[in-house]
Amino acid sequence: MKLNKLVSSAFAALALAAVAPTAMAAGGPEVKIVGPTASRVDAESLQRGARLFVNHCLNCHSAQYMRYNRLTDIKLTPEQIKQNLMFTTDKIGDTMKASINPKDAKEWFGAVPPDLSVMARSYTTERLAAYMRGFYRDDKRETGWNNMISPNIGMPHVLAEMSGVPTVREQVFKVDGKDIKTKGEAEGQARAAFIAADTMSSFEHHVEKKDGKEEHHYIVRSIVPATDGKLTPTQYDVAIADLVNFMDFVAEPHKAKRVQIGILVMFLLSILLAAAVWLKKEYWKDVT
Amino acid sequence: MASKQPSMFTNPVMRWVDERFPVTGLMKEHLTEYYAPKNFNFWYYFGSLAMLVLVLQIVTGIFLTMNYKPDANYAFGSVEYIMRDVDYGWLIRYMHSTGASMFFVVVYLHMCRGLMYGSYRKPRELIWIFGCLIYLCLMAEAFFGYLLPWGQMSFWGAQVIVNLFAAVPFIGPDLAVWIRGDYAVGDATLNRFFAFHVIALPLVLLGLVAAHIIALHEVGSNNPDGVEIKQGPKGNRWSKDAPADGIPFHPYYTVKDIVGVVVFLMIFSAIVFFAPEMGGYFLEYNNFVPADPLKTPDHIAPVWYFTPFYSILRAVPPMFGSQFPGVIAMGLSTLIFFALPWLDRSTVRSIRYRGTQWKTWFTIFIACFLILGYLGVKPTTVWGQFGEWASFLDTKDRATWVARLCTVLYFAFFFLMPWYSAADKTKPVPSRVTYGDDVKAVPAAGE
Repeated sequence: MKLNKLVSSAFAALALAAVAPTAMAAGGPEVKIVGPTASRVDAESLQRGARLFVNHCLNCHSAQYMRYNRLTDIKLTPEQIKQNLMFTTDKIGDTMKASINPKDAKEWFGAVPPDLSVMARSYTTERLAAYMRGFYRDDKRETGWNNMISPNIGMPHVLAEMSGVPTVREQVFKVDGKDIKTKGEAEGQARAAFIAADTMSSFEHHVEKKDGKEEHHYIVRSIVPATDGKLTPTQYDVAIADLVNFMDFVAEPHKAKRVQIGILVMFLLSILLAAAVWLKKEYWKDVT
Repeated sequence: MASKQPSMFTNPVMRWVDERFPVTGLMKEHLTEYYAPKNFNFWYYFGSLAMLVLVLQIVTGIFLTMNYKPDANYAFGSVEYIMRDVDYGWLIRYMHSTGASMFFVVVYLHMCRGLMYGSYRKPRELIWIFGCLIYLCLMAEAFFGYLLPWGQMSFWGAQVIVNLFAAVPFIGPDLAVWIRGDYAVGDATLNRFFAFHVIALPLVLLGLVAAHIIALHEVGSNNPDGVEIKQGPKGNRWSKDAPADGIPFHPYYTVKDIVGVVVFLMIFSAIVFFAPEMGGYFLEYNNFVPADPLKTPDHIAPVWYFTPFYSILRAVPPMFGSQFPGVIAMGLSTLIFFALPWLDRSTVRSIRYRGTQWKTWFTIFIACFLILGYLGVKPTTVWGQFGEWASFLDTKDRATWVARLCTVLYFAFFFLMPWYSAADKTKPVPSRVTYGDDVKAVPAAGE
């Protein structure tokens, strides 16, 4: 991530919570995420996220438990919601349905795109952000896209117009009798390449059976960011942070209220605690 | 039950009631004239806290059932409806989900207290047995309740647990179908689990809690010294027949328990309002994905409070091609608690006066319980990463071996108890409870 590229007001919203790589392993290959994983949540960011969400996600996905009028919680007026964000319905109390017919979706993508109401809670916001930044061109796939966080997923890179077309650099390390003589050496060199990579990368150990012999492949894939998008890589990161913030809001619309009430409850309980301790001391004075 | 006593009320309505129902008698017997030892410590908060959580669960549960739909097509959605559209539904739901985990936290600490101070020993065997029954009932209640949100973990967790019954020789498969009401966990299962969760088990639970308390008040409370106050000198400020070391439960322990309640509520509220998922331990991330019978999750783990027993299940290798031995071991690990009053043959009750042998075994037991619990939450794919210092063990099975060792020690704590508890070199027990200044004079427990 190059920080010096852009001085935009939106950038102020980005808190670089983790510039340091974070490793994740969830069944598949080991993945290293480079770049922002969290950003500050404010009404502006949420509103920008809402725009992205209804314009791009709701074409195929639904958020069937989320009502449009909940968006008043992120400081949008009912008029704004009706005019700018509602495409599939004109009733503001309706939930967010997908534009696409689920039957068609199943035919096109192999599965009905999952509902996004609580996606941020099951997938976690960190992985969501990485997922949206993890697409790369892969001509072996029917959609032409692959993803580093969820390999071989059916979803294409719908925001490619914004990000440009990222590609992937694939390095395969295996015993070749020349530079790499042992399995350990192959693994070591692959590890070193994985650690040295400065973009989102994955590390995969792949065993192939050839003539009864096992052949170990260590594959390191690193994303090569695109430069042909409408947004710079940094602007794209900000957009994704907004989108993820909004999805986090969709997953639990009352979160902000919950924390607010919580602070009040803790305050009242601490007063009650002082009273309870005093009462106990008073009564127990005569126990000897 | 309470015998006829002169009414403590001046209010004519209450006097009228008192002549027909023993309000005064019951209040005296269980509160104002129930003499509890004066030396209760930190560990004695958890009984009243367990009652508090029980009430919280029942009350929040009632409100949840007003909007929940026990139907495989609507269950997941109705929970989201509660979380979003019901006024303060999120609060009620989080209180219920946090309450479930906190119930186990409190009950485990309550049981630990019983172990430490020998509260299961004669004449309190029945209190202990009722307590064990409550614990079993609570596990069943939690298991049935966990299916209701109808998420991936709900579904697959139930699938795994019900399949344990399928491991029973001969009748197993039929038994599993009988429990599920179908060949796989489905709508029929959800409906019956709902019935068990909201009415059958709560009724049993309430009855058992009443029995637990009646039995307790019959023989009187134990205390951190394990000294029987009823056998000590008589006469205190309130009564010449009451034990000298006893104080009326009300107001002394009611005001003390209020302090415990407020501290507990602060911890409880901190979780409910600031971390309701508790990092995926109280609400598992995968349970925000609707149940999908066609998609098995990579990692199926029970909620944290079942994991020690789950680890025992995983630790026992299949024998004769059957998982049944593991199921037996797991069942036994929960049922063995019932035998405790007859396994312990020490001359003293409290850990304060026990010798090194018992203390060592007790420490091993607690450590094993915690390690088994830890291993139970970890997916088998990362088991090899546990205990990296033990490189002499095969990486893949390292955690399995640790789990096996802990399982053996877990059972050894119980099965060897008749010998080590009797052989232990105990310390002299004081004739009266230690309180205030004299606590310092006596070496305290586990220090």
